[in-house]
Amino acid sequence: MSDDPGRTREALDRVAARLLDASVYERVGIAVGSTGLALLIGLVVVAAAGHNPLLFAQQLVVGSVGSTGAFTRTLRFTTLFILAGVAVAVAFRAGVFNIGVQGQLVVGGIACVLSILWLAPFVPNGPVGGAGLTLVGLFAAVVAGGLYAALPGVLKAYYGANEIITTIMLNFIAIGIVGWAVDGPLRPDDARSVRTEYLPEGVGLPSLVFSDPNFSILGLGLALAVVGVVAVGMTRTSFGYDMVTSGYQASAATFSGVDPQRTIVATMTLSGMVAGLVGAVFAIMIQGYFIDPSGIGTYGFDAIAVSLLAANNPVGVVPASLLFGALESSGSHVQIHSDVPVQLIDGIVGIVVLFVAAPELFRMLAKRTGLGGEKR
Amino acid sequence: MSLATGASRRRLRLGGLALLAAVALAAVLVVQFDVPLERILTVGFLNRTLMLASPIALAAVGGLYAEKSGVFNIGLEGFMIFGAITAAATLSLVGASSQLHVWLAIVVAVGVSLVLTAGYAVLLIRYKADQIVAGLAVWFIGLGFAPFLASLLWGTVRSPGLASMNRYSVPYLSELPVVGSILFNQSPLVVLTLAVVIAAWVVLYRTRYGYWVQAAGENPTALDTAGIDVNRVRYATVLFSGAMAGLGGAVLLAHAGTFIGTGDTMVDGRGWIAIVAYLFGNYNPIGAALAALLFGGLEGLQVQFQTVDIAVSGRLMGLLPYVGVIVVLTVWGKTRMPSSVGEPYESEE
Repeated sequence: MSDDPGRTREALDRVAARLLDASVYERVGIAVGSTGLALLIGLVVVAAAGHNPLLFAQQLVVGSVGSTGAFTRTLRFTTLFILAGVAVAVAFRAGVFNIGVQGQLVVGGIACVLSILWLAPFVPNGPVGGAGLTLVGLFAAVVAGGLYAALPGVLKAYYGANEIITTIMLNFIAIGIVGWAVDGPLRPDDARSVRTEYLPEGVGLPSLVFSDPNFSILGLGLALAVVGVVAVGMTRTSFGYDMVTSGYQASAATFSGVDPQRTIVATMTLSGMVAGLVGAVFAIMIQGYFIDPSGIGTYGFDAIAVSLLAANNPVGVVPASLLFGALESSGSHVQIHSDVPVQLIDGIVGIVVLFVAAPELFRMLAKRTGLGGEKR
Repeated sequence: MSLATGASRRRLRLGGLALLAAVALAAVLVVQFDVPLERILTVGFLNRTLMLASPIALAAVGGLYAEKSGVFNIGLEGFMIFGAITAAATLSLVGASSQLHVWLAIVVAVGVSLVLTAGYAVLLIRYKADQIVAGLAVWFIGLGFAPFLASLLWGTVRSPGLASMNRYSVPYLSELPVVGSILFNQSPLVVLTLAVVIAAWVVLYRTRYGYWVQAAGENPTALDTAGIDVNRVRYATVLFSGAMAGLGGAVLLAHAGTFIGTGDTMVDGRGWIAIVAYLFGNYNPIGAALAALLFGGLEGLQVQFQTVDIAVSGRLMGLLPYVGVIVVLTVWGKTRMPSSVGEPYESEE
């Protein structure tokens, strides 16, 4: 596993190639089919647990798009999933398994909050100061996330340490250390719960269109802008070309003069920079302070499903994120209005990933059942 | 090639540095902070290490069989979670708490893991699912469904106190110094683990079946030519790896006595550590078990530091095994994996 960096790349190739070789319709068919089938299995589990599956299905819909409030919440999660999904897609596209987006977003988020808290006393109050601090926070998150991802990149490129395992370990380490700090040195004396100081007023993204204080159209705009930059960067720049070629065929890239080791480090860094941004948006737009990271949603893991559904294409990440944003949002609804334990949704996400891993099974199922959707 | 030798030289240098740093840190602790070394390296510590290492060693032995035969079972972590939740659910449902019921729960956990692994094996081998992505999926499914099941059963993701496995104690012999406590006053599950490790070594290196396993990973075509069904061997090893990971999870639960489903559940990365354990052990069951001891020891240090009143946060100390894994992987990155791992095999016929 670890002596041959080309191997993981090959493995990824097979999944990506299978999806990439497929026509766009087939790809969409597989993605929709995987999600639909996983949801169906979820409903069967609901029924087996003695609850009403139809009621649960209805709650999923109501909880995601049933009201303006629910829809805004869906968009809020969609924003996080777009950024996290792009972070994963950047790495997967280049044949590097960054499973550490969760840890990188935690590191990015805490760096964002700390840099703002430290600089706040030196900045004048008011909207200009707030906007300045917000920018500083975003920048700090990008730098911290990038550095935290560069470490496993270096370990993989120069020491052959398998990045799947190092990034998972670094998730545990980031959550452990930040969790300890938030409960210790960073916790204000008057805080009843485990958290940092509140971000100063004025820091944040204005709500503008929707009235939800935890969602700003600017956040979504930022996420879409990142999608645009990454999509263009991957297809139109020589660095992007090198990255994608290394992912597609490592040996060919090496022969054409690409430095494979530097590409790995650069890819991981870029992926981590975007992941750091997830943490910053989470802290600034949603939370307003930082909490024990073991209590933060597993956006970094779900993003793996998002990216795979999108065949690791940054543009495809957008609709996939909308779907996952809706799922996550209905989860918040289910938690309050249903007796069905909300963890079911995490399980459903896992099943989606399993189906995406085995498109062959899917094609066979489609053929057997005579559903035309998956054939072209 | 210069690239390869450069990497190995770098690694050697780094390994030396890591070792030096560890020794220096230990020396500083002993001299500067007057840490009583003899109170840290106690018999109790050794016993705890054995108990903490057992689940990791079991999953590692399973995982190395699968990988030796050419299938990378990255789902170990997920199957450990399934093993732990199944054992907990069984204990809770039968409602009794004798030692026999603990054993029953372990058997049920292995059985359920086997069934789940069967489906996984079909996906990997028959439908040529991507081994890495499918393995991650197993983890995610475990992370979702184990707390889900816990909530259904107990209303929260944490189980109430359940029965746990007692140590056996041999009269008189258990009073011998050191050996007495380790051999004759021990958890039977530690002994079971030891038996599994030794049996796995014997089968892998001393039986015909073990050679088939190795051949399935190194040269499947040759094995096929010799008339052995490659995929049948692979099905067997993947089933074994799932069963061992499930057993590891059940052992973890039987020692702890409570299921914890918060965060990354009570398994908390042990399946991933198991993968590193067998890499570090160079695919040798005994080597893997020794590596598991190292990681178990790092985990056990937390308790030792508390008993000698060193005020380091337990949460930070708990991160030691993860740091250890990264150091091991970095220094020991050169393991040679079986040459056909990850490649689905299709017979010519």
